[in-house]
Amino acid sequence: MKVIPIFACAGITGFESPAAEYRQLPLSLDELLIEHPSATFIGQASGDSMENIGIFDKDILIVDRHVSVENHDVIVANYNGNFVCKLIDTQRRLLLSANDSHQSVTIQEYDSFSVEGVVIRSIRCHRQSPLLVND
Amino acid sequence: MYALVDANSFYCSAEQVFRPEWRGRPVVVLSNNDGCIVAANRQAKALGIGKFGPYFEVRALCEQLGVIALSSNYELYGSLSHSMMEVIGRFAPEQHIYSIDESFLSFKHCYPAIPCLLTHGAKIRRAVWKETRLPVCVGIAETLTLAKVANHAAKKIYGYNGVCYIESVNQRDAILSAMKVTDVWGIGSRIGKKLHAMGITTALGLAKLQPGIARKNFSIEIERTVRELNGEACKGWDSARADKQQIFSTRSVGERITDKSTLQQALSKHAGIAAAKARKQGSAAGTILIFASNSPYDEQPNGFKYHYRCAHPTNDSCEIMAYASEIARQLYNPHTRYYKMGIGLLDLSPTKHRQGDLFTPEKDPALMQVYDQLNQRYGTDTVFIAAQGIEGKWHMRRELLTPQYTTCWQDIPQINCR
Repeated sequence: MKVIPIFACAGITGFESPAAEYRQLPLSLDELLIEHPSATFIGQASGDSMENIGIFDKDILIVDRHVSVENHDVIVANYNGNFVCKLIDTQRRLLLSANDSHQSVTIQEYDSFSVEGVVIRSIRCHRQSPLLVND
Repeated sequence: MYALVDANSFYCSAEQVFRPEWRGRPVVVLSNNDGCIVAANRQAKALGIGKFGPYFEVRALCEQLGVIALSSNYELYGSLSHSMMEVIGRFAPEQHIYSIDESFLSFKHCYPAIPCLLTHGAKIRRAVWKETRLPVCVGIAETLTLAKVANHAAKKIYGYNGVCYIESVNQRDAILSAMKVTDVWGIGSRIGKKLHAMGITTALGLAKLQPGIARKNFSIEIERTVRELNGEACKGWDSARADKQQIFSTRSVGERITDKSTLQQALSKHAGIAAAKARKQGSAAGTILIFASNSPYDEQPNGFKYHYRCAHPTNDSCEIMAYASEIARQLYNPHTRYYKMGIGLLDLSPTKHRQGDLFTPEKDPALMQVYDQLNQRYGTDTVFIAAQGIEGKWHMRRELLTPQYTTCWQDIPQINCR
């Protein structure tokens, strides 16, 4: 038997949703946290040298390569072939840690150094995300 | 006015984005199963490690010279290519992504508003480097073919610093005279040989050929190339990539295959890949080529190759898999340790103009449409046909694989806060 599905409609309907006309896209964390998607990468902090500004070991860092570096930004730099997260003092060419037990580092002529991006957000997982756990 | 922007040794450069300690060092990327070198950066080439050689032949040399050899990390390349294309796309109202690392831009309607195209090109190059850490070269010229030429100059001719805008006829001819004719877009080695026989060895020689003669001796495509080299736009980017004449899916395997059912599964897998490619470009195959062999480096090269002529053109995965599997069953030799196998779809015809067959019922394409849509939306092999097996023992060997920094949470780069 062939059935043509037509939704029955007898003029009896429920109370129409009053919210129907107000529907918007749900909030997206991507939208909040990432301003330049094609110029952004995500990394993970490893170590305690940035604790005083609230970046702890294993925190997630959102690194934007589009924005320009300003004095005292939190940056990710390529420092002698290593990705490091530091505060940058552009005037004195210093890499500063945010932990009293770490010394500041002067960027010398012989160092290979480039700013890889600005850490625009950091995310703290107060409960471990299962996505980040190695199984 | 067009620009061609492409990345320099893209695979190698992509591997250096999240490994700053590898920047400036020689890098090569290997093909599936780590068999051949498919990409080598400038530093590796300078050490004499070229493309397309079998890796095992140069492995010791690579280790000795400190060349970094890596398996292909397609997940990483795809993701970085996407970002790169987004950045490039900001610089023109129209963009055509030509391949994983090449993209055309058209300034047709807006270039009078750009004060200096050379500066614009330099801006593209800087932005891509700053935002994706991929090095690109930019070629700008009046036609697509000349944009390719300009890009070649930007890469190869010292002094252009990665950006070349062909502004005058003199400049154009100077570049063309320094360029091999086989480096011109669309001139393969076969046509190159014929041109050589006619005494044409440089791109300039080709540009000076009479268009009529080009058509008579070769084809309308070559005539267009000649005209384009002289600044007359003939190619649009819709026609820039013609449909493939033949579609192949072929691969060598990580572990030799010695049993019949594994061979059938591996060939079925390739049949599925090739069929999906055919559907994507709207083609159906009249002939299916099925082959499997051991390695050419084995003592006794051995294998089979079979042309299956279809009763009517097809691009249905189930159908092609069934043929492949049946032929593998018949031609399987228990004494061969199969290493390389694949499927070729030949005699392609567009499905749009398909001729119905009176005695073969028309196949409903709906199943394959849904199948392709599911795999496109949720990732390769979300649904698959069981003939290809569930656990692919013939999976790629990627022993030198780097992490998937941008697509897998567990692989995100570690940033030192020590």
